[in-house]
Amino acid sequence: MIRTHGLTKAYGAITAVDGLDLDVREGDVYGFLGANGSGKTTTVRMLLGLVLATSGTAEVLGEEMPKAARHVLPQVGAMVEGPAAYDHLSGRRNLALVDASGPGGARSSRKARIAETLERVGLGHVDDRPVGAYSLGMRQRLGLASALLRRPRLLVLDEPTNGLDPQGIHEIRELLLELNREGTTVFLSSHLLAEIEQLCTRVGVLARGRLVVQAPLAELRGPTGRVAVHTPDVELGRSLLDGTLEEVVHDDDGPRLLVREPDPAALNARLVAAGVRVTALVPERRHLEDVVLEASQP
Amino acid sequence: MTGALIRVELSKLVRSRRTWVTIALIDALPTLVALLLAWTDLGPRPGTGPAFLSAVLTDGTLFPLAALAIVLPLFLPIAVAITAGEAIAGEAQQGTLRYLLVRPVGRTRLLVAKLVAVMAFVVLTVLVVAVTAYVLGVLLLGNETVTATGPATSVSGSSMSTAELLGRTGLALGYAMLCMLCVAAIALFFSTVADSPLGAALGTLAILVASTLLITLDAANAVQPYLPTRYWLAFVDLFRDPILWRDVVRGVVLQGVYVVVFLGAGWANFTTKDVTD
Amino acid sequence: MGDPPLCSVFEVTPFRRWCVVALGTLLLIGVPIGLRALPAAESDVSASALLERVRASQDAGWSGYVETEGTLQLPDADQFSDVGALFGEGTVLRAWWRDADHWRVDQLLLTGERDLIHDGGRTTAWDYERAEATVSRDPDIRLPRSADLVPPELARRFLDGVGDGDVSRLDARRVAGVSAPGLRIVPSSELSSIDHVDLWADPDTGVPLRVEVYAGSGKPAFTSTFEEFDGARPPAADVDFTATPSSDVEYDDVLDIADAANQYAPVRPPRTVAGLAKSESSDRAVGVYGEGLTQVIAIPLRDREADALRDQLAVTPGVERTDGTEDGPGRTLVTVGPLGVVLTGTEGEGGWLLAGTLNRDGLVRAADDVVRGFRYVGRG
Repeated sequence: MIRTHGLTKAYGAITAVDGLDLDVREGDVYGFLGANGSGKTTTVRMLLGLVLATSGTAEVLGEEMPKAARHVLPQVGAMVEGPAAYDHLSGRRNLALVDASGPGGARSSRKARIAETLERVGLGHVDDRPVGAYSLGMRQRLGLASALLRRPRLLVLDEPTNGLDPQGIHEIRELLLELNREGTTVFLSSHLLAEIEQLCTRVGVLARGRLVVQAPLAELRGPTGRVAVHTPDVELGRSLLDGTLEEVVHDDDGPRLLVREPDPAALNARLVAAGVRVTALVPERRHLEDVVLEASQP
Repeated sequence: MTGALIRVELSKLVRSRRTWVTIALIDALPTLVALLLAWTDLGPRPGTGPAFLSAVLTDGTLFPLAALAIVLPLFLPIAVAITAGEAIAGEAQQGTLRYLLVRPVGRTRLLVAKLVAVMAFVVLTVLVVAVTAYVLGVLLLGNETVTATGPATSVSGSSMSTAELLGRTGLALGYAMLCMLCVAAIALFFSTVADSPLGAALGTLAILVASTLLITLDAANAVQPYLPTRYWLAFVDLFRDPILWRDVVRGVVLQGVYVVVFLGAGWANFTTKDVTD
Repeated sequence: MGDPPLCSVFEVTPFRRWCVVALGTLLLIGVPIGLRALPAAESDVSASALLERVRASQDAGWSGYVETEGTLQLPDADQFSDVGALFGEGTVLRAWWRDADHWRVDQLLLTGERDLIHDGGRTTAWDYERAEATVSRDPDIRLPRSADLVPPELARRFLDGVGDGDVSRLDARRVAGVSAPGLRIVPSSELSSIDHVDLWADPDTGVPLRVEVYAGSGKPAFTSTFEEFDGARPPAADVDFTATPSSDVEYDDVLDIADAANQYAPVRPPRTVAGLAKSESSDRAVGVYGEGLTQVIAIPLRDREADALRDQLAVTPGVERTDGTEDGPGRTLVTVGPLGVVLTGTEGEGGWLLAGTLNRDGLVRAADDVVRGFRYVGRG
């Protein structure tokens, strides 16, 4: 769906995006992760043809951008750097203007489409007050509605849950997952790890303009090969596991032993047999946060 | 498709309260002048004041022209510079430009639609001013018998039939609109360059003020024929007998060149620039 | 996916796009400048033949658009302010000339028009902003007016009394789109304040298209040139004037201060001043002396008029004031470029106003001669 080769954008001497090779596949919920200023927004803008690349190519929906913008963009819904609307007009009126200014979409079905989309993003009840009087969350929903209006094949969203309350975040997350199940590919750029972790199937991490990680989320969060044994009998465990024990942790979760052991079941049996009281025993998994931080080290 | 986009831009224009406030403000000045003239019956001294203002005391049907001469040098270009300066920079500042472009709206097409909308504003403003001025002129100004029946007097002292007066007034209004197209083209160019609509409007006004200043300066004689505002008041020549086409034609050509050059520059800049607002 | 868009065939880079705009701009600006820079075609007409042709053109009809540029800052006195504007500023004129008795010259103003329509012995002055037409007879003696500034009229005055020996050829130059051969006239009289006059004439009709007056070398003190010229005699309808019902029409017996003085002042100036003979047209109180490039007019002023003018002259830069002595009368003298003005007498007195293209010495001699030589005549 999105494929870039050596995509680069330089502003004078500063290289904002450096040799990016993105690969977003059909059906993905792709999490594009990076700190503020890492080049996320510039990349998104290059994909949408707003910013012209210094070198490299970007392919969206199989066609080169920005050359094929006229074919590609009607099938793409986007929200870039927060929503924007004409403040003195109502939400409905804003959507009507957006719909009318571009190609596709019969005029006769416009009203129905707008009503349906507003319903979908949870603004079905909204009255005719101007957008200027909207809350931040309502604006965010309106921006999303504007992106969804054309029933796009690809959604490119930049920080879509910004300014929403927990209930709103949950609703939007459910909506995106539902859209994804219906066949929409979602490209989600965010600096919030939790959001990416809960939504995405694939993750790309951007640091200082370079793509440092790109892999399926499941792979990134794979087991570390260690098992965490929560037990009050720390000393007993230590003597028993001499050789495979790597670390003893004392923190708020209570004391636990980190053991390199490929077979957690056998370990458990051994411990219990030796009289070590085990309150919990879990295979240790990698945290996305650690992966990101590690990969982002300069 | 461009038609649909133009409709959208026109609808934005018509639904904006600022459009109507601006038109009302522009219209207020000639209205005030008409009221003062009717009240005092005092025309400007010859050689001072806007063209036709002394003539309306005898012939009220000339007041649309006096109104044009009142608003053309300052009020109208300011309003056009602000409106056209808003075109791209305003959308950019609001953040709506990027959504228009990914909708997708072609950049050239957007520029054309914006220009059409600005010109619609110009036509609307000029017509509102002209109609208001005609009504005020006939009701309040002039000698009734002259206004109602007699032929109008041309600047050269000969008589003009009502049909001739109407035709020439139409030409003058069209000429003023063309001058404003030139302002719109300059402002549109600045609108693609500047970050804020205010910056675009100020850039345009700086050019117009500089041009107006240089016209009064003898040392700038050599460049005067190329200044954008040089021939703006040449519409007076349409009311000489026979019509003096020289400055009007030069004005039309000069405005045309400015329009082509600045629209070209605006187009080249806008279609190749990074939209990063 | 459909046809490839046009831009993939012709790669449109930002650079090329700007090139297109720059090229278009250059063309739009360059073509007219290039056209204007076309050199004028030279002519092999001799100076005397050209002089002859220009003289012969005095009955020709023509019409055109004239711009004059004066640098002569004359003192701004009430009665003479219009004259000051004519010589001190730029004027834009539109003229139709059937013959010396039927013409119309419109002075174009930003906010109106001031027109002169001449029909036989009658001149109508139309002022748009006053909505006023003033009809007067055309007097023998009057102050300069806009119609005197069109190149053919200027040339006609300057060429009076000029002989073959005073003229030489100049390179042709483009005037109003015509390649016009040029002629330089140098005054033969040592009294003249004019260094030389250059003119360029239409090669077909001989009508002068451009006249430049020089007080010294350097820039011309006064220029009058056609910007548009049509050598055909204009139809009678173009020089016709009928006032509309809403215009005021007035009749004036006295045109200006020179006319008034000429008609009513009870004095007669001498026959010659500074060796210059009085012209035939001046047989009353005002004297016109000399011809061509060496001319002076002497107008008697009453004390009220003279005092006002004297005050104005007194504050003009370069003024030269002399009190009356046994050797001669008091006077106030100003020279502006080629134009000299002297007013005789002192505060509270009437006096003679002399103005013309005489140098300082000539002017002083002329003033002294007038004051010594004029005589009173009985009223009636």
